[in-house]
Amino acid sequence: MDETVTEYIRRTILKFPRDEVKTMLEKWGFLSETQLQTLNFCQVKEKVSREVAQLCEENSAGIKQAAALDIIYNQAHPNKRVWSVYRMNKAGEEMEFFDLRDFKNKFKRRLQSALKNVTINFEEYEDNAIWIRIAWGTPHRKPNQYKTSYVVYHSQTPYVFISASVLKSNLPLLCQALLAASNYHDISEMELRSHSLNSLKDIVFKRYSQVSHFTIVFLFFSSLLSSSAADLRIIQENRNQRERIERMNWEAFGDGPLPKIEFAQYKLETMFKSNPKLDVLDKEPFRCLVKFSSPHLLESLKSLAPAGMADAPLSTLLTCIPQKARNYFRIRDRKALLSGSFVSP
Amino acid sequence: GVLAHLEMLEVQAHEAAVKQEEMERQAEKLARLKARVQELRLRRNELRAKVDLQQNRQLGKGGIASDPAQFTTQAILERKMKSVKAMLQLFYLTGISGKLTKRGVCFCISTAYEGTYLDLYYLDLVITLEVQIHCHSIPIFIPLEQLAKKYLQTDIRRFLSVLSDHLNAYVRRRYQADQLQEHFSDQIEGTLQRNSLCNLLVFNYNVSHKGKTFPFNVRLLYGDLCRSLPTEVIVSCTPDAPKFLAETAAAHSDLFRRVALHKAFCSFSSAEERLD
Repeated sequence: MDETVTEYIRRTILKFPRDEVKTMLEKWGFLSETQLQTLNFCQVKEKVSREVAQLCEENSAGIKQAAALDIIYNQAHPNKRVWSVYRMNKAGEEMEFFDLRDFKNKFKRRLQSALKNVTINFEEYEDNAIWIRIAWGTPHRKPNQYKTSYVVYHSQTPYVFISASVLKSNLPLLCQALLAASNYHDISEMELRSHSLNSLKDIVFKRYSQVSHFTIVFLFFSSLLSSSAADLRIIQENRNQRERIERMNWEAFGDGPLPKIEFAQYKLETMFKSNPKLDVLDKEPFRCLVKFSSPHLLESLKSLAPAGMADAPLSTLLTCIPQKARNYFRIRDRKALLSGSFVSP
Repeated sequence: GVLAHLEMLEVQAHEAAVKQEEMERQAEKLARLKARVQELRLRRNELRAKVDLQQNRQLGKGGIASDPAQFTTQAILERKMKSVKAMLQLFYLTGISGKLTKRGVCFCISTAYEGTYLDLYYLDLVITLEVQIHCHSIPIFIPLEQLAKKYLQTDIRRFLSVLSDHLNAYVRRRYQADQLQEHFSDQIEGTLQRNSLCNLLVFNYNVSHKGKTFPFNVRLLYGDLCRSLPTEVIVSCTPDAPKFLAETAAAHSDLFRRVALHKAFCSFSSAEERLD
């Protein structure tokens, strides 16, 4: 039992960049000061990890400590995972007195009553974020510590950030446990996914800088100042057009740093409209998938018009991503009978 | 003799003639001015008559000056903007300032505690036939939607006031918890359990008496989100603690209810110093 645990710890150490290993071990706090001093962090990571594993065995490390280290790694490098956003709904408007201990107990109880073989660990951070690490097993097999799901939840908010692992079948169990613990009614997945956990938080908590009228004044004056410093020998031929593009861009994307998402996906489903002779095509809907990927999609969209690669204003389907808090879209035909919007929820 | 007398008479006659001329000139001037006065009086009467005529004409249309234009959307909008402007002037001193925008108004709510300015939050409203929140920087756990549903359409002033209360109270509760963690961490055992709204705090702290320390547990529940003092306080000690500590627990419970958290702890440490 211990060997698998120490092996797990060793592999977790290997995931850290070499210059972070020391600080992470200190943060972990499982090894004593004297033990840490015996380690040589300048050597190859492989060697360091083996030495740490040795020390952990001497200290009789258990799953709890191993899980704590894994949480530290994922909290320091959340961008290695893909996060989805889930939204919870409440029935009434009662005030929430979020009791952390209560939450943890209820979550554990609910999940463990449904599935005995599961490892659950919690960690709280200063920004009121609660990290939950779940290692899944089956009714007949012990939890696999390498197959983990992570949940990040900020108390008294309706949003949950979940990085599920391969085992999608456990997702309903996880959702049920979350509802039971947080006293919400139902939970549904939003069409919003990204590697950048902080950007997802920025979008749903509306922490990114939306266009605010306070910034209008600053921007106006700053643009006046900057234009006056330009070299007078240079004549801007397309000044009007450039300014127009900049203004439209600014209206669409705002002013400050944009949330970081890596892709946007648009599924188009429409009926082929042609002359009645082509019967076959009439029956089947025409499906098409367009996917945009980028290391930083919103920034690249913002730079399209100024770079001359697209006309401004950009389609609202692209610019509405932060406001609508979604990057997965389904576009269907506008049905004549239904008056609903043609971008489906 | 006679010539001198004649000269004298001549001078007199000359003087009299000059006087006569003078008087005639004066009389002429007076007559002219009188005529002018008459002229002006006449003009004034004419204008008065004109004004009276116009007023009568308006009254003649039926009592109150009913202008059908006052119910147009433009007029409603203008009235709304007027009341908003009045509110802006009123609120400036209460920590809520605002700026008119093209489509509505942008409010900035500043929070403060004990003379220290804390966070600033903004709220951008679009005023058409109904008031909508365009964007804002209010934290997600403040019940903004609930408050907007209740007050935003009917009473913007009340909405802002209640929102400001919520924000100030939240910021003050958070400030107290932060101060406690920063300055009294040596008295706290373990971690301070809190939440996003800072409306439930649970922690253990040490009470020293005659050289011995006793662990106390306290649970502070802030039932009113617009207040920065708890509505419910439960202070408990371990079951095997000496009896007299129950009194201390009760005293602490009462103190936490009345006094800000970090100040209460301040008084503990000073009380202990006094005892020692």
